[in-house]
Amino acid sequence: MPKYGHADSAEGVTCVGTSPAMRWQPSGVVVLLLALAVAGVTGRDFAAKWRPDDIYPGPGVTTVRRLSDYHPPLAGTAGDTDVYVLEGDRPGGTVLVLGGVHPDEFAGFLAAVLLVERAQVEQGRLIVIPQANASGFTHNLPGEGHPAHIEIETAGGTRRFRYGARATNPIHQWPDPDVYVQASGQQLSGSETRNLNRAFPGRPDGTLTEQIAYAVMELIRQENVDMGFDLHEASPEYPVINTIVAHPRMMDLAVLVVMDMELAGIPIRLEQSPEQLRGLSHREWGDFSGTLAALFETANPAQGRLRGKTSAQLVLEGKDEQYERAARLGRLYVPFGPDGHPVETRVGRHLATLTAFFDAFGMMNPDRAVVVSGVPTFEELARHGVGAYLQPPAR
Amino acid sequence: MNEAILFVVMVGTFIGLTALARLPIGLALLAAAVAGALLGGEGFALRYLVEGTFLYLDAMLIIVTAMAFMAAMRSSGALVEIARQLVRTFGRRPVVLLPSLMVLAMLPGMLAGSSTAAVLTTGALVAPVLMSLGLSKLRAGALIAMAGVYGMVAPPVNVPVMLIGAGIDIPYVGFELPLVAASFPLAVATAYWMGWPLFRRRKDDLSEVLAALDEASPPTDDRIRPLQGFWAWTPLVWVVLAMTASRLPVPWLPDLGLPLIFALGAVMTLLASRVPNWAAELRGAVRDALPVLGILVGVGAFIQVLTLTGGRGWVVVSLLSLPAAGLYLAAATGVPLFGAISAYGAASVLGVPLVLALLDAGDVIVITAAMSLLAGLGDLMPPTALAGIFAAQVVGEKKYTRMLAVCLGPALLTVAYAMMLLLVS
Repeated sequence: MPKYGHADSAEGVTCVGTSPAMRWQPSGVVVLLLALAVAGVTGRDFAAKWRPDDIYPGPGVTTVRRLSDYHPPLAGTAGDTDVYVLEGDRPGGTVLVLGGVHPDEFAGFLAAVLLVERAQVEQGRLIVIPQANASGFTHNLPGEGHPAHIEIETAGGTRRFRYGARATNPIHQWPDPDVYVQASGQQLSGSETRNLNRAFPGRPDGTLTEQIAYAVMELIRQENVDMGFDLHEASPEYPVINTIVAHPRMMDLAVLVVMDMELAGIPIRLEQSPEQLRGLSHREWGDFSGTLAALFETANPAQGRLRGKTSAQLVLEGKDEQYERAARLGRLYVPFGPDGHPVETRVGRHLATLTAFFDAFGMMNPDRAVVVSGVPTFEELARHGVGAYLQPPAR
Repeated sequence: MNEAILFVVMVGTFIGLTALARLPIGLALLAAAVAGALLGGEGFALRYLVEGTFLYLDAMLIIVTAMAFMAAMRSSGALVEIARQLVRTFGRRPVVLLPSLMVLAMLPGMLAGSSTAAVLTTGALVAPVLMSLGLSKLRAGALIAMAGVYGMVAPPVNVPVMLIGAGIDIPYVGFELPLVAASFPLAVATAYWMGWPLFRRRKDDLSEVLAALDEASPPTDDRIRPLQGFWAWTPLVWVVLAMTASRLPVPWLPDLGLPLIFALGAVMTLLASRVPNWAAELRGAVRDALPVLGILVGVGAFIQVLTLTGGRGWVVVSLLSLPAAGLYLAAATGVPLFGAISAYGAASVLGVPLVLALLDAGDVIVITAAMSLLAGLGDLMPPTALAGIFAAQVVGEKKYTRMLAVCLGPALLTVAYAMMLLLVS
């Protein structure tokens, strides 16, 4: 009878079919030196992701705060991030816009940056957090082949932004549990522990991601936010795409916005936030505060499982032959032709939808209106490109 | 270069380097990734390669610490003691013995959603019992490998379902019964299938079996205080309690994560039994795990470049381009085959689009449960074949592919059962 439960090293190696290779054994020192050299070379690239992106507050920005102002334990952590406040001369309501909840959803982040750099508020207050999960911008998700940075040409030079990962950097929050038990008690796969958009309403003493979520909730409660928006992107094969997902209390207003968008020639779908799916901004912001909450999705082929070559170009131009194939097969939830889904139309959709919400809310609540100008329209972005509306890089 | 050609070149490079140049699997995968990056116009793509090697970091830590835990169980005498107890209790009744051992072997997989956890913990208890009763090591290994797969699928924790659910926005709610239906009938059938020789060679006198067990146990150091009776179970009790404690309505322990749970279990076991050469035991465990870790590093780099160059998308769209009936064929073959890279990857990369494509065909929960069953089979697919490789190590089989050949029957039964679930959903 063979000895059980014991595999000596020779058996262990043979077992996986590598025994012939045991003859080829370079010195451990050589391997170690090689590993150090590789770590040194690539370490520079990875370290570059720690350099914060330059976001230039435009003339509309009246105050820059930190998210930790709303939950002090976040101060000094990788979860702290800038909160831009744009306050108008006339009193009105307060609107919160989040980009970068998922840092690989580039148009959501970029739309928020454009608000910071271009928007001017005439009435009420606009609060913008372009990098809601700041930690997620410091890494890329292994296995996805994503670019580290995206460059955009502006009139005065090239702006460079980090392309992040969907979740908090494991360097800042690790290890993941096998199963993530969300604050509501719902069970999710362990990797979702670092997903900010599964962490709401957060926990004041929870993980870094849960504390970021809690800080956002505190901001909403302390600033009496009337409307809260979370800007996202999704893969074209995802059913909730070019869509507004709205909390039940937001639905009436969202219906008006959908009609307005249809009239403007930007068709968009509307879904009510499902009650069973917990931890998402549009559901928990609405349930745990008085705000009217909604999340927008546009189609980013660089996120999908069906995409061809992954590159910064794909993120910006949104053209992909594999997605065209999939569209012809009827496997997508958005049309996908040779023109793809360029970043201009994706950012344009986000900004147009936001503007439509501002208008509809102001019409129904004149005292709490938030009147914003200076935001490029869908057509302007499509015609001139995003770079035309970004501030040039500082010399 | 066209994505399809790049994919073929990468796979061809890998096969050529392993079959002809006899390069270790991990290095061959790494080299195939480099070839893909060069031909795909990405240059040497060092950053991408390094990033890809981190894809399975958590899985690698689980493997190393689970191996250390098993080494501690073995050297403390707990393993052979539990085997003795099981033989004494169930040895004469294979009708009860086989399904009981199957469920015991599945248990850590059910709790952790990982076949590795099942095979290397209770699987390593079950295998010697079966072998001491006269089952061949190939059949015993196949039984625990399949237990790992079914344990990964059975509730309460099914990570492939969670991954697919995350991709299509369905909560992990209402899956308990479909997952029981997807796993337990197959588990019981496989237990009897693999264990049927025990019915023919029933042993009424167990003293011979127990003596064989003692003989097969590794020589013990006199200074070791073996864990006997109930104490032999305490390392396993710790693992099960630690896995579940954080998920109770009132959690009494923070979620430590599998690596820390196994590591603490190993330390406690070694301390309790006063194993003098504990460092050598742990070094041996790491040495046993290294080949698999090398493969996982290589697979990570390979999948990173496959995605970067568009090969992954080409594979997925090609599968989706099959006619309606072909989608079932794609699910039956593509999902388990993709497990060669990763079972979880199969669920995420192929499971999500396939479930979306089949949504109109039936109930989404049953479809997802069936897809997770197919994804689970991926843990039997070389070169990663985590369930197969570790089951072979546990039973002392040098060529794990021989054991996988025995798994083929139950695996095909599993595919047929999953297809049936998809069709009746």
